[in-house]
Amino acid sequence: MSTSEVAASPLLGQPLGQPRLTDEDLARSRDRSRVHHARRHSRHWYLLWLLVGPGILAMLGENDGPSMIAYAADGAQYGLGFFVPFIPILFVMAYVCQEMCMRVGAVTHRGYGELVLQRYGRVWGWFGAGDLTLTNLVTLVAEFVAIRVGLAYFHLGAGVAVALGLALVAFTLSGGRYWRWERIVLGLALFNGLFLVAAILVKPHFGAVAGSFDFSPFPGGSFNTLLLLLASTIGATVTPWMIFFQQSASADKGMTPRDVKHGRYDTAAGAVLAAIFGIGALIAGAALLGHGGAGIEGFAGAGFPEALSHVAGGAVGTVFALGLIEAGAVAILTISASTAYAAGECVGVSHSFNSSPRNAGVFYAANAGIALLAAAVILIPGAPLLSIALNANVLATVLLPVSLVFMVMLANDRGLMGAWTNRRSTNVIGIAVIAFVGLCGAAYGIDSFLQAIHLVGS
Amino acid sequence: MRTGAPQANDAQPALLGNGAPLRPEIQERDLQRQERFEDELIMDLERDQFVAETSRPVPPAVLSTRVKAGLWALRVFVVIVSLMVIYTFIDQLH
Repeated sequence: MSTSEVAASPLLGQPLGQPRLTDEDLARSRDRSRVHHARRHSRHWYLLWLLVGPGILAMLGENDGPSMIAYAADGAQYGLGFFVPFIPILFVMAYVCQEMCMRVGAVTHRGYGELVLQRYGRVWGWFGAGDLTLTNLVTLVAEFVAIRVGLAYFHLGAGVAVALGLALVAFTLSGGRYWRWERIVLGLALFNGLFLVAAILVKPHFGAVAGSFDFSPFPGGSFNTLLLLLASTIGATVTPWMIFFQQSASADKGMTPRDVKHGRYDTAAGAVLAAIFGIGALIAGAALLGHGGAGIEGFAGAGFPEALSHVAGGAVGTVFALGLIEAGAVAILTISASTAYAAGECVGVSHSFNSSPRNAGVFYAANAGIALLAAAVILIPGAPLLSIALNANVLATVLLPVSLVFMVMLANDRGLMGAWTNRRSTNVIGIAVIAFVGLCGAAYGIDSFLQAIHLVGS
Repeated sequence: MRTGAPQANDAQPALLGNGAPLRPEIQERDLQRQERFEDELIMDLERDQFVAETSRPVPPAVLSTRVKAGLWALRVFVVIVSLMVIYTFIDQLH
């Protein structure tokens, strides 16, 4: 055993005798041996390369199809003001939440779902898993729609979108190793930078971009529209699946308390990249301001890529369409993985990419099953895909506060976390984030409902 | 990286390419090598990181009545708002 690493968690610090080794242990141990080797030989950059992954994947996975469309729509409707500074603030919020997930996963070596279920009771564990499954299914439908929108620019149909998404899921699941899965998805996720390329290609006025950091002009329109913008933009940045995913992936990767510093670098790098690429989509969308961009219904046909190719040139349209395909594809992989982790953890069976499909049947079935289900929905003729896609982020925002409250409780649980519990400042920011997210989500939900039943005017 | 090394659950009787079993001393040497390999791998994992350890449930936390009430209040509130969002979504379809 590694004697240099003391058990960080008081409750988890009384191990059994000689444990029975599984294939999962052996695979994880191989990854850890490289980490130890890099650390012993002070190979800092290689160590960082080995330890990055869950944070970048969570953040770039959330820069998904609906999110990038939402950013582009914000730019097309309101221009750069307000949203250019608002997006980085949201990713700072996301960093605070995701750092907690990474830390709890590294210290306890357990996923969010199983800790909530075991520590706070089955009811809360299953509620969390139920929320996750609902929001993930809706979001996955939106991801397939995003791929379809991107492919429509190249005159390819829904069948190709489904085949592409499912083929990627099958390919990434076929390796039987967490490391392989992570590196493939990480490689794909870096193509999220296409949105930055699109932003550069529209030749923005950099003075205007820098000048927009004064939060003006504030978006106009009705109170409900503003609430929808806030709720959907928050839902484009922090969501329940990210919480499940990063904690479980950190544990699956084999991270330990000694890796928390690198886990923070990983999460911060993910937040910075996601904010830059998100602003890239916003700037690209802003090229349509004054060119009828506000009238584009986000998912009606190939609206944005087509409109961008008319206004800013074919290259911008092509890059934006490819970006949408990438954003949808990466999100399908990460969101399916979060569902699989939650299913395995709540059922109490093996839940790791390091396990074979035979040993972790529930994990692999949930991973492929939810992707299949979402793919089936977009093939239904006349299905309300536009409404589903637009409501996906809002529903995630509404359900998020409960997940965040349990996250903060876990990160403050001295029995689990020992010396790695939250600092007071982290708790203050965490509670402020919960209050802000809860207020925005609830205000939009209540206001929209009152309008729907005609108790207030629109 | 030692990816080519044998794994614990792969422990089958060693066979030559033509299907004939290896000599006992060679089998013994392979087993020893495998055990040494597993020992090295165990060194790279923390004690509480093994599947056998993480499969043990953590003890339940004792929550005060006030915390439980707060959690249930938040849960009910979130369910009500979610139902409102779903109702609005269905209403928008018509």
